[in-house]
Amino acid sequence: MSAVGYDLDLDHRSDPTEPHTSSNVDQTLTGLRLHALEMGALVIEQVSNASRALLERNATLAQSVLAREALVDEYDRQLDRDSLTYIALQQPVANDLRLSRAIVRIGRELERAGDEAKKIARFALTLEQASGNDPVLAVARHLRHMAELSVSMLRGAVRAADEVNPALAEAVLTRDAELDAEFAAALRQIMSYVLQDHRFLRPTIDTIFALKGLERIGDHATNVAEQVLYMIGRDRHADAA
Amino acid sequence: MNTTISPAATKPEAPALAVVMDERRATRATPAKAVAEKLDFWYGTNHALKDINLTIPENQVTALIGPSGCGKSTFLRCFNRMHDLQADTRYAGSITLHPENVNLVGKGVDPIEVRMRIGMVFQKPNPFPKTVFENVAYGLRLRGVGNRTELAERVEKALRGAAIWDEVKDRLADSALALSGGQMQRLCIARALATEPELLLFDEPTSALDPIATAKIEELITELRQRITILIVTHNMQQAARVSDYTAFMYLGELVEVDATSKIFTNPSKKATEDYITGRYG
Repeated sequence: MSAVGYDLDLDHRSDPTEPHTSSNVDQTLTGLRLHALEMGALVIEQVSNASRALLERNATLAQSVLAREALVDEYDRQLDRDSLTYIALQQPVANDLRLSRAIVRIGRELERAGDEAKKIARFALTLEQASGNDPVLAVARHLRHMAELSVSMLRGAVRAADEVNPALAEAVLTRDAELDAEFAAALRQIMSYVLQDHRFLRPTIDTIFALKGLERIGDHATNVAEQVLYMIGRDRHADAA
Repeated sequence: MNTTISPAATKPEAPALAVVMDERRATRATPAKAVAEKLDFWYGTNHALKDINLTIPENQVTALIGPSGCGKSTFLRCFNRMHDLQADTRYAGSITLHPENVNLVGKGVDPIEVRMRIGMVFQKPNPFPKTVFENVAYGLRLRGVGNRTELAERVEKALRGAAIWDEVKDRLADSALALSGGQMQRLCIARALATEPELLLFDEPTSALDPIATAKIEELITELRQRITILIVTHNMQQAARVSDYTAFMYLGELVEVDATSKIFTNPSKKATEDYITGRYG
């Protein structure tokens, strides 16, 4: 330990949530983080409801997802505006700058995950009551599993961002492979379904899009988790640059 | 016994900068202009600088940042032996000026000679109460330049170098004290440039200036660095970020961290640095 009171040989773990001398800065940053957290909670619900609407043929639930899509977009725009104002007025550097940039990127990822939920909800609205042999039923087990996985990844990523918790973020990153494997299995299943019964070509294509949408939501969750690592100065791609 | 600064017989090679930089970022090895090694400094019993090891890369801008009283100005003033003007001060260790490998704080070195090679610009513009021309010509006359034509040429060159020629070329015989604050500061830079220094020290050069005059000085620093090595002390973090290539953070007389400015202001390695630049100091 040197006279300055810090161990100069050890690289520190940057914590952007530590308080500043200026409480004004703390208030602004806390506001941004809470805003991102609220947006995260909304998107998690959107994805969860869209998947349920599809699996349960629940048109009301699908409608509610579509109705709230505009709110997701508004959260994203608001985060963008507030971050820009913060950067212009406070000129943040180091972990403050990384935090504000990460929050904008997290907003963008969540907005895209919300878009996927919207598409799934639209498809759910086009489905009639269960016919006993449609493509959604054929891959229902995979759809359910993928929905659970992607929602759980999103939850983990949003919580990791809220707590600025790298261990949680890394746990999300490791689960993406599981979701990809499930997507591949679902594709194989739908392939054999379409070979047996090609009456439902249009809903089959839509089902593939829904599966792909859930797989993409997992990617967005992964990207959010990467932003958490970026916040604390551990950029996964920095070493390659 | 005074030793003039002349090429030394030993150690002709300047060390590469890479030693102080993160290896990933040291894309080219910049030669060192000056190297502080195990530098300690005392004002009486006050141990103001503690074991400073810092390489100043040639033709680059190095910014020194840190809270008041951290020793950054004290460190800057070691380079041109300003402390010699004060009683009861003491240096230990070395600041080696390259390429001659002269220890600037060594006992045998003449401070006047050092100041000819290492110019300094202060916080408040401090022109002499003389004409614009005489302010710049002063150092040259001290150096024995007596020829009128040569004096005029070198004064013009220095004023042009300090980006103030167009504003004062018709006022060379006017008092320097009639200039604006920003012009006076650039005149002081011209005065420092006249003797063609290799290293220029700036001690908060814009803290007394408005944003436009500040922008002109910053632009000038960016131009000057192409031929002069610059060491700047600033309290203005954004200024350090804007004008410097490397930033060194000092705290309580110690050098905490030095790295490329882009690294320091985005992802510093030490907690103390990050806390300071993000405003997390008590």
